[in-house]
Amino acid sequence: MSLLKEVQILVAKDLALEWRSKQAINSIVLYVVSTVFVCYQAFETVDMLVWNALFWIILLFASINAISRSFTQESQYRQLYYYSITSPKAIILSKIIYNIILMTFLSIVTYIIYSIIFKNPVGDPYLYFLAVLLGSISFATVFTMVSGISSKTGNNSTIMAILAFPVIIPLLILLLKLSANALKGLDRASSDKEIVTLLAINVITVTVSLLLFPYLWRD
Amino acid sequence: MRKNWWKILAAVFVSSSVVAGLMGPVPVLPILNETIRNVYFHVPMWFSMITLYLISVIYSIKYLSTGKMQYDTMAVEAVNTGILFCFLGLLTGMQWANITWGEPWPNDPKLNGSAIATLMYLAYLVLRNALEEEQKRARISAVYNIFAFPIMIVLLYILPKLTDSLHPGSGGNSTFSDIDMDNYMRPVFYTAVIGWILTGVWICTLRYRLRLLENKANQID
Amino acid sequence: MKKINLSLLLTLIGSLSAFAQSDSVAKVTTQVYQVEMATGLRSSGKIWVVVSVILTLVIGIYLFLFNIDRRVKKLEKNK
Repeated sequence: MSLLKEVQILVAKDLALEWRSKQAINSIVLYVVSTVFVCYQAFETVDMLVWNALFWIILLFASINAISRSFTQESQYRQLYYYSITSPKAIILSKIIYNIILMTFLSIVTYIIYSIIFKNPVGDPYLYFLAVLLGSISFATVFTMVSGISSKTGNNSTIMAILAFPVIIPLLILLLKLSANALKGLDRASSDKEIVTLLAINVITVTVSLLLFPYLWRD
Repeated sequence: MRKNWWKILAAVFVSSSVVAGLMGPVPVLPILNETIRNVYFHVPMWFSMITLYLISVIYSIKYLSTGKMQYDTMAVEAVNTGILFCFLGLLTGMQWANITWGEPWPNDPKLNGSAIATLMYLAYLVLRNALEEEQKRARISAVYNIFAFPIMIVLLYILPKLTDSLHPGSGGNSTFSDIDMDNYMRPVFYTAVIGWILTGVWICTLRYRLRLLENKANQID
Repeated sequence: MKKINLSLLLTLIGSLSAFAQSDSVAKVTTQVYQVEMATGLRSSGKIWVVVSVILTLVIGIYLFLFNIDRRVKKLEKNK
């Protein structure tokens, strides 16, 4: 069975599992709604800088919560079963793709809820939307590998946060800059460098994950 | 003594960089004044830190491909020594920034980047503490080390070039070679860098050897 | 008449701005010459005190490191 075929089947399996229970999606959407609402109660109105910062902070914590479960939701025995029938590369690739799908959906939902409750001051909506998409892809690629690492340690959530934050901050700096450009409605050519760097980091992260995951998986 | 030539070289290079760094001619610049000589002492810390982290990543890769425990020990000790140099670099940089830029922690991408890189390696050490079993600890921490390294390179070398920075060579600031027009500083600077890198490697190997001895002593018990 | 007046005014402004420029250039150059570079400490030779203090520190630390190195080597041979 080729790698692509395996990945396809595994992603479909993950999506089906999620569709059957809808537990992750529902809990995260609820989390996002309540956080946005708490922020709204606390701030009432915000200026552009705070608007941007709040949005990314909410999205960051939502994505950490969503992805930290990606290797622990299934039991050890079932993972052992996957280990015996597929290659580790297929598993990490399928997890990354599944998390990208999940994160894209989540970030769009967050963006819509956020801009309904707070007023939306975005100057260049298409560029901002691109930033949100790039952000969700970056969160997915980085956090999938980190959650793989942290699932091997006992106490998952703390280790996950400690390991993930230093790695995600460089990406977050770029995302904040890109989305600030979009908010101000600057000329699109001025954000080229950020977009290219973000894409490059994502490509590097995925390749490194593919190379390293076989060592992590071996148990 | 034959094997020790590079340790003597480290001592000689650092000492001579101290003398030449304090006495040699430097460009006369406003604001910086005499503090430009800090280039010989503050910047080599970062070069040593990066070298040590690079050594650590190389040994992590070696560990994953061979599974020998001593490579893992080397990787940890390189990180430990690298963190020492990172803190020295941050402290000296803060003292220098307080005089020239007016505050110890200006919002500068290089400063923030190095602070975040420190967090990354502290997280590496926390991860090691969280894992009990030796083989597993070595393997998983090696994976994290290799995973974090390219992102740290982006953080320290690519991000500051994209944004405005107070440091030379980024965001439209003049580079080191523009300031040092007569090339007075270059030889002294490279001497200092090589001397400090060798010193860092030396401290790292000392810690590594001590750790091996400790491990042996523990095995006999 | 008006034209002549205007040209006169223009030359006046031009020369004034040129004067102002040369003035500022002079200011910058004097500033460069007045940059404080601890010349007093250097000419009196007291800088060598600082150099020797730092050199002593550095050499002391390296001797200490060599000492540790030797002791580690001895331990390694004992094994």
